[in-house]
Amino acid sequence: MDSCYAVDKELEKLCDKYKSANERMQQTLDDFITSVQGYANEINQKPHNEIVSEAVKTTITDFIERAKATNISVGNAHKDLHGSVSKLGKTIDRNFTTDFSAVITEGAFDGEWKQRLLNEVICEHFLRQGMLDIAESLNEDAHLQLPHVRKEPFLELHRILESLRQHILDPALQWAEQNREELNRRKSPLEFKLHRLRFIELIKCGAIKQREVLDYARKLAPFAEEHTKDMQLLMGSLLYLHEGVQNSTYSFLFEESSWVDICDIFTRDACGLLGLSVESPLSVGINAGCKALPPLLSIRQVMQSRQVAGVWSSKEELPVEIDLGQEYRYHSIFACPILRQQSSEQNPPMRLMCGHVISKDALQKLIVGNSNRLISSYSRFKCPYCPVEMTTIDARQIYF
Amino acid sequence: MADVRTLEHSTLKVPYELLNKQFRASQKVIDREVSKLTSSAGDLEKKIQDSALTVSDVTSALSSMVDNLSMLKRKAEESIQEELGATRVIKRRLEHLQERDAYGAKDGPPTLTWQKSRLDRMLVEYFLRAGYYNSALKLAQHSGIEDLTNIQLFMLSKEIEDCLTKGDTKPCLNWCTDNRSKLRKMKSTLEFNIRKHEFIEMVREDKRLDAIKHSRKYFSSVEPNQVADVQRLMGMLAFNSKSPDCPYSELLNSQNWQVLVLQFRQENFKLHQLNSTSVFTATLQAGLSALKTPHCYKDDVNIRNPDCPVCSTNMNELAHALPFAHCSNSKLVCSITGFAMNEHNPPMMLPNGRIYGMQALENMAEDNEGRVVCPKTREIFHVDDLEKVFVM
Repeated sequence: MDSCYAVDKELEKLCDKYKSANERMQQTLDDFITSVQGYANEINQKPHNEIVSEAVKTTITDFIERAKATNISVGNAHKDLHGSVSKLGKTIDRNFTTDFSAVITEGAFDGEWKQRLLNEVICEHFLRQGMLDIAESLNEDAHLQLPHVRKEPFLELHRILESLRQHILDPALQWAEQNREELNRRKSPLEFKLHRLRFIELIKCGAIKQREVLDYARKLAPFAEEHTKDMQLLMGSLLYLHEGVQNSTYSFLFEESSWVDICDIFTRDACGLLGLSVESPLSVGINAGCKALPPLLSIRQVMQSRQVAGVWSSKEELPVEIDLGQEYRYHSIFACPILRQQSSEQNPPMRLMCGHVISKDALQKLIVGNSNRLISSYSRFKCPYCPVEMTTIDARQIYF
Repeated sequence: MADVRTLEHSTLKVPYELLNKQFRASQKVIDREVSKLTSSAGDLEKKIQDSALTVSDVTSALSSMVDNLSMLKRKAEESIQEELGATRVIKRRLEHLQERDAYGAKDGPPTLTWQKSRLDRMLVEYFLRAGYYNSALKLAQHSGIEDLTNIQLFMLSKEIEDCLTKGDTKPCLNWCTDNRSKLRKMKSTLEFNIRKHEFIEMVREDKRLDAIKHSRKYFSSVEPNQVADVQRLMGMLAFNSKSPDCPYSELLNSQNWQVLVLQFRQENFKLHQLNSTSVFTATLQAGLSALKTPHCYKDDVNIRNPDCPVCSTNMNELAHALPFAHCSNSKLVCSITGFAMNEHNPPMMLPNGRIYGMQALENMAEDNEGRVVCPKTREIFHVDDLEKVFVM
């Protein structure tokens, strides 16, 4: 916040200066105008063709002098503001990063093909957000001609979500029935939760709908085994159907949060079924970038100032580890605790007999260092972390 | 807060440049009024020497002085109000940046709505740079961020670009005049190039005499390094531009206007201190790099994670040229649940060497009478066969 604060302070100062300069200018001019005006009126009383006296001439000469002085003061009053204006600019430059070209991989997104890929990603991002008209407009502006097949899943997803937000269950129920098999395989509670909400809507109507409530309960029966507890809760609420469930201990059934939940569950399941990520990849990428750019930039600056830019010239890996936090971790990364290197196909992680994991390269070095002999499957070595001794054959490759 | 510091320079600097421009324009207006007043005062000074000065002369002179003064007063007021208006734009943007952590700790992540609006702001700028003006406008309207993005600046440049594409150089030349001192500091060749194109157009239309006049007017005071260019241009005059074997046909290529449009766009960015790459592109590159792991490029599709941005088809291709994330400490994620594997969810090895989190395996075992299925190989094992793994 400090950078914003610094600029804000400078801006306040500038505004104050503007206001006071304006007041001063207006005041000077006003005073001057009034006195000239007053004098003109006074003179005007005299006969129009009378020759003016020397005294009048002196006054006018005074006015002329004053006009010149005023001119200079008004012109300068505004010019003097320039210092404060440019100071604001300098404060902005000092507190914000002016140039981040050092961390850009030149040409990574260049070329028509890459440009198109990127625009498609953006277009899908909008479709996912339900900003259909913007997606359409980008489609036109960037000549994407995205085939309808790629849009359709998003459109359907969004239609259903939109109706869910308006507490309309039918489209979602239909979708859940169509995809029942797949949903069951994923152990998704979606269909039950949808029926549950409909059931709650019926209860809300009170005793008049008692018959329908009971009929609907039959529909819920197939889910009873999986959701026993929930079912019992629902049926239990019927005790209070006459007095109004709202006023009973079961009033929690009507909480708005279950509608929010159902939207989340639906989005997750639908995206899963469509092979899409739950979050928009673009949002995730950008948010990760916002976290990653500052440390990347500062390491770059340090490297440039120490003139070691050449040392780390590899385009293969970032120069510094960036911890984006747990929510941005999608893959297990094993870094060998001995060699401090990421594992790879050639250098996979190996589990020693005792359970400790080191990389294959590290293991090999350990054996050579220990035995000074040719490596055989029975070369003996000790785990670097605990007293267990074993032979090469006891270590095995593992897969994260 | 570091992200604001790193990413938002143009958010504040562009309106600042506009304020600066407004300041200079105001100074000009005020100077003009001041000099008018000075000259009329000078006139009056002369008049006063006249011994036959009548009262009506004096009143008319005084009233014209009052007029001039009131004019100056009004113009000064107007100018300052315009400048204050320009400062309000900066203020508004500052306020928005400060809303970032309205509810949270200073170093925490920004609120979700703020993040979303940041992405939209970046996209608007990206669209504007790419020339997708319609989409940019619509998006800005939809998200209510018109005053937070530099739309105005770009719309102005769109007009100039449109005219340039049509071969109308006037708006662009006006722009050059407006920003002459800055362009000179940047050693811009834009104006020269425009004049060059005008010359070429004249030759194309066979108005050779006009072309010579034009060249006398604009090319006689060019920089030394541009002389060769001018000579080449003048050489054109000797040839019939319509004939196919004219050695200067490449100069006559109408595609050259497009090059000029791009040059204008670049100079306009530079003038307003915008980076040549959009914030959006830079951020996305950094983000994808930080997320990119060798796993995202394994041939086995099962290893890819549908939630990982770099694993998604398009981004995978886009991130190809970017560096991988650097990692010197192990970070383990259970591929079944997506949860971290740590002391609360220790990693466990199946007899086939695959590692999963304890929680996922225990849940599976509970549902299947102690049996666990490896999701990768479909092999079935008993939960008692699991072995512990220690990752330092």
